[in-house]
Amino acid sequence: MLLDLLQNTIDGIASGASYALLAVGFTLIFGVLRRVNLSFGPGIMFGCYAATWMHLNFQSGLIVLALVAVAGAVLAGAYVERLCFAPHRSGSAIAAMVASFALWMQFEELVTLVLPRHVYAFPTLHEGAPLEFAGLTLRPDTLAVLGAAVVLCALLHRLLYRSRFGLAVRATIENPVAAGLSGIDTGQVFVRVFALASAIGGIAGFLIVATHGQLTPMLGMWSTLKGLLAMMLGGLGSLPGAVLGGLALGLIEAHSQWFLGPQLRDLTAYLLLFALLAANPAWMTRWTTSRSAS
Amino acid sequence: MRMLALLLALLPATPVLAQSAHADLTCRFTGTDFVYDCVVRLTRGGQPVSGAQVVVGADMPSMPMAHNLAPVKAKPGRQPGEYHARLDLEMTGEWAVKLRLSGPLRDLLVLHYEFDERGARPVPPRSRTGR
Amino acid sequence: MDDFTLGVLTNIGLFSFLALSAYLLLLAGEMSFGQQAFFGVGAYSGGVLTALYGVPLPLAGLAAMLLGALAALLVGLPTLRLRGLYFAMATLAAAEVARLLFELFRFQREIDGELTGPDGTQGFRGIRWIFEHGVEPAEFLLLVYGLLALALAALMIVERSRLGTVLRSVGEDPGLAASLGVDVNRFKLGVAACAGALAALGGVLFAHHNSYIEPRNFDIMLGVHSLAYALIGGLGTALGPLLGVTLDIGLLESSRVFGGTRMIVFGGLVAVLLIVRPRGLLDEQLVHRIVRHSFKRP
Repeated sequence: MLLDLLQNTIDGIASGASYALLAVGFTLIFGVLRRVNLSFGPGIMFGCYAATWMHLNFQSGLIVLALVAVAGAVLAGAYVERLCFAPHRSGSAIAAMVASFALWMQFEELVTLVLPRHVYAFPTLHEGAPLEFAGLTLRPDTLAVLGAAVVLCALLHRLLYRSRFGLAVRATIENPVAAGLSGIDTGQVFVRVFALASAIGGIAGFLIVATHGQLTPMLGMWSTLKGLLAMMLGGLGSLPGAVLGGLALGLIEAHSQWFLGPQLRDLTAYLLLFALLAANPAWMTRWTTSRSAS
Repeated sequence: MRMLALLLALLPATPVLAQSAHADLTCRFTGTDFVYDCVVRLTRGGQPVSGAQVVVGADMPSMPMAHNLAPVKAKPGRQPGEYHARLDLEMTGEWAVKLRLSGPLRDLLVLHYEFDERGARPVPPRSRTGR
Repeated sequence: MDDFTLGVLTNIGLFSFLALSAYLLLLAGEMSFGQQAFFGVGAYSGGVLTALYGVPLPLAGLAAMLLGALAALLVGLPTLRLRGLYFAMATLAAAEVARLLFELFRFQREIDGELTGPDGTQGFRGIRWIFEHGVEPAEFLLLVYGLLALALAALMIVERSRLGTVLRSVGEDPGLAASLGVDVNRFKLGVAACAGALAALGGVLFAHHNSYIEPRNFDIMLGVHSLAYALIGGLGTALGPLLGVTLDIGLLESSRVFGGTRMIVFGGLVAVLLIVRPRGLLDEQLVHRIVRHSFKRP
């Protein structure tokens, strides 16, 4: 019984690590722009499909594929930023979000046009037997995902708290108007944060696809939902919250799947989010969506 | 409310057709992406149904309305109850094939089939989950 | 008119109910990603009533609308204090809960020697009331558009009335509306219930048009699409959401011109359109200008 609990916790943290990265990406964009990018997941999917294309045509190594995935995601993110978020910066939040949804549709169709099969195999991080110790199973690739997530979060923390760019980002999150008045080019901050968030998302996507060993056009929707869920669970707008929310989501899923079965797993997560939102605790609802009237 | 009652009064009260039709699909991949030659076998109450007009359409359950397949009128085959149609799908995967029947019986049947490079297989129960 | 065109037009009508549902909430100032849940509630309840209990369609439709309104209140009450993205995410969570509950819902009865009824992820086959009662596709189309016209007429009357002004004021500035004596909470709940009933009506018609529904039909894509239709068509009039639906589904059918790139073209057009007209094609300014122009003294 205890062993099961421990195993589930390990599995939960493993999947939670990828959710955490996705949530961090969403939160960066939300924190700075106060908008949700509904094309975040699809942009990541675009990067992963680009990597798959590379894999199919050039049999590239994993490092190259990871770089292509990140580059693809950043490119997609830049496109979305220019078309959906830059024009609506001082305008309607709903228009920006619906526009990002429209681009989501574009990405989905684009990837199925170039690679029309429903499932594509993706090289896995580690072929071979999982590690076993003390009755617990641990797959080496999930260790890699965890390690990558930890490293990324540490790097992000350094960037945000030890660099000028990070200072500009934090100032913009705190109060964009004041930041602008103190000489920070908030426009440039938005563009760079978008690129940063997309890059993190690209790495997350690569890790997810490499762990599962396959890629489907559903990745866009899946990563958007998981990222949003994790971000909301951790309290909208907080980066440590995003990480905790991601881990929490992973743990909730792992344990509810064990005790209640796979069908109730997602149900539990969504019910929990709804209940939390309905209860409206202070830590969850600090931020308003848009700075201007929509 | 009155307009609604009026509208509904216009609907003729034809006798109820109790038994529904059944169909199954056999498809062969033609080699061209992603065209399939399919044979529909239509039965009702165990008996083959001939002389029906069968229009075949398809949609992907996982991405509804995202694909546009021009519905195809199936041609009657040699055996009673058999109809032939050529389906041009945009990708492999699970499709919901919609058979719109008219003529001796009016019905709309929806069949789930998994299409791949070999042909089409009916989707086994309990394998269709949301994500 | 061939069956195919009839089917396309019927689909436009069906999804218009859903778009109008999202539009109502947008007018009240809230963005909902979850109206598809009430569409689903209407579809399942209407289907169960007609296919398993032989209830005539009009009665089943009314019952479905009632259930849709109740479901909307079930979601609306706990989320009254939520605004903006929090409300949107709550509706998204609620809608996914609904969809997952549909996946678990198994309720079958033996009808004419066959097990019929919702079967979880396998879906709900055999909703054949309109086939069993000899309703031709053209007649069903008339029914859908007749009901849609009723809904539109009601909405447009409301928009011209004081109720409509109150609705938009609650959407624009709830604090101000409250200070003028509007019970904002009760009002929002009323709007939510109406929106739920409207979506449920679309759902029951959808179920009977397709004869088969499954939980996947009512996923987030449908919800965000309906929100998009409302916004693209324009928030100035109830005809706006219809315009949005017609544009998308109309483009779907003419996509032979674009090959398999319909969504790429449409998605790009929508994004560009929203830059130029962030409140949609038929936004409040345009509608106001049209109304003023048509009623100008010569």
